[in-house]
Amino acid sequence: MLQIKNLHAEVDGKQILNGLTLSVGAGEIHAIMGPNGAGKSTLGYVLGGRPGYEVTEGSVRFLSVRHAGLDPASTFSSGGGEERWTPDQVRGDEDGEWIDLLEMEPDERAAAGIFLGFQYPVEIPGVSNVQFLRTAINAQRRARGEAELSAGDFLRMARAQGEALGVSMDMLKRPVNVGFSGGEKKRNEMVQMGLIDPRLAVLDETDSGLDIDALRVVGDGINRIMRKADKAVLLITHYQRLLDTVEPDHVHVLAGGRIVRSGGPELAHELEREGYGAIAG
Amino acid sequence: MTLLELPSARDESWRWSDLSSLPAIAGRQPAGTVPEALPWIDCGGEGPRLLFVDGKLAAEQSNLGSVELGTVTADPADHALARLVGSDGWKLRLGRDHAPTGLVQIVHVSTGGADHLPSEIELDVDAQASVVETYMGDGWINRLAHIRLLKGARLMLSRRVIGEGGYVSLSDRASVGEGASITVTTLAAGRADTRLDGRVVLAGEAAFAEVGGALLASGKQRHDANLVIRHEQRSGMSRQVWRSVADDAAICSVAARVEVARAAQKTDGEQSLKGLLLNRGATINAKPELEIFADDVKCAHGATVGELDRNALFYLASRGVPRDEAKALLTQAFVADAIDRIGEAAVREAFHQDAMAWLGASS
Repeated sequence: MLQIKNLHAEVDGKQILNGLTLSVGAGEIHAIMGPNGAGKSTLGYVLGGRPGYEVTEGSVRFLSVRHAGLDPASTFSSGGGEERWTPDQVRGDEDGEWIDLLEMEPDERAAAGIFLGFQYPVEIPGVSNVQFLRTAINAQRRARGEAELSAGDFLRMARAQGEALGVSMDMLKRPVNVGFSGGEKKRNEMVQMGLIDPRLAVLDETDSGLDIDALRVVGDGINRIMRKADKAVLLITHYQRLLDTVEPDHVHVLAGGRIVRSGGPELAHELEREGYGAIAG
Repeated sequence: MTLLELPSARDESWRWSDLSSLPAIAGRQPAGTVPEALPWIDCGGEGPRLLFVDGKLAAEQSNLGSVELGTVTADPADHALARLVGSDGWKLRLGRDHAPTGLVQIVHVSTGGADHLPSEIELDVDAQASVVETYMGDGWINRLAHIRLLKGARLMLSRRVIGEGGYVSLSDRASVGEGASITVTTLAAGRADTRLDGRVVLAGEAAFAEVGGALLASGKQRHDANLVIRHEQRSGMSRQVWRSVADDAAICSVAARVEVARAAQKTDGEQSLKGLLLNRGATINAKPELEIFADDVKCAHGATVGELDRNALFYLASRGVPRDEAKALLTQAFVADAIDRIGEAAVREAFHQDAMAWLGASS
């Protein structure tokens, strides 16, 4: 579903990612762990397409159609026969058809199925969560050539997702993240993820600012929404504790802008026990 | 035709206005064609509806109700544009405890050329009214409103400038009696340049005034608002909430002053002037002023000018909202503060729609 090859990226002229290579298949949850300054958040922003994060080398391919079991004709055209992805964005190779993520605008990446969970969700005064989410979902649906959701259908879905994550309708009517506690902001991110229903979630330090109970609620949310055969998760985290609830299939250690070690869930425990120093050098 | 004498930019109170287009607009012949669709707001109960085309009442499309036509009391000699309005206009005079059957709606259409019209709103004790005025077309619409509210009277005046060009100049002179309240909200969301002048005197104790609005400008447009709220008696409260948005090479200017006379103890005044630049080539001027002669007052003022929050733009993009739509959503949120002051839901909604239409057109 996601293939990152030899990715180099810089911010303000400073090299942060330094030859990162990583492959994520459908149905898999990958944890990216690493010390502060390793480039974890930069990886998330580069995948999301944040302005100012410049890729200088390497490639990111998204959603190998054959692996995801999706029909390219229905996935990549707008329904009217007009191709939405430019030739630069869609290429064929031995893996089937894939999207060159780096050629796309951030909103196009979202419509293609990528969700970026923010370490620090942004406050937007004057825009309610409901308005924000409905605008987002309908923009994505339009981009995919699907019909927009009615207000009634949307509100029913929003209420259901909110209830599952302990976010009341009252909170959803308030401005986006304004006055929310750290934990409420993270739960709100999960409500967004549940409603948007992405193919690949890149979750940046989703566990920061959460107490034990909130950690479980958020972890359960990730499992419920994303633990599916046609989805995948890239879980960027500093600590092992979220991985008790969301068990990763693969764990990678990121240090100095590249993956220095990969393994199974046991690697996370080893890191917790011995620290990054011993493993990342 | 008399020669048009206009103030120059050297005059402090006119320094942000550009009146240079007025002589040419005034020299144009009105086409006289009325648009097929007029922006009447549907809000239940039929109130008075007046349509003025080039300053003249279109009687067959109007329903005067409690509004009259006739000689208007006005003394605009000290104002360069308001002095042109003459003395024949429309009047809304309500007796004690009276209110019109519904919203008073007045649509002004200019089909070219200049038209001048005064008005008078006088509400007796505890009377109340809500008036919506809409300005459209592409000529020069010049207006003066003389407003007098007696004890406990309440007036909500909502205005929108949605014309496709030309110039709209509006001057208000208001006196607010004991415990009376006035709320004036102006939305400039068309292609016309505007000049707004307001002078509101809180003449009775515990009077309330709120004067504000949203000025949206693009291209080479200019909006220029000059407002004074004067507290003359104690325990008055005033609010000035202005939101300016300038794109391209447009200029929005708001000069807002609060005057507190020596007798006006316990005054509570607040000004919030905020500007949003959608382009580095645009200009926003914000000039809050306080002139206080009483010693026991609370007056807060704030003026800020900034750009759209880049973090918020990326957050919206990461959820799939295209850039132009994200800009429009954040800009709408920015101006919502000012428009949300309007009391009636249908009017508020219509004004939000006009602002959204501008945002859609400018992005």
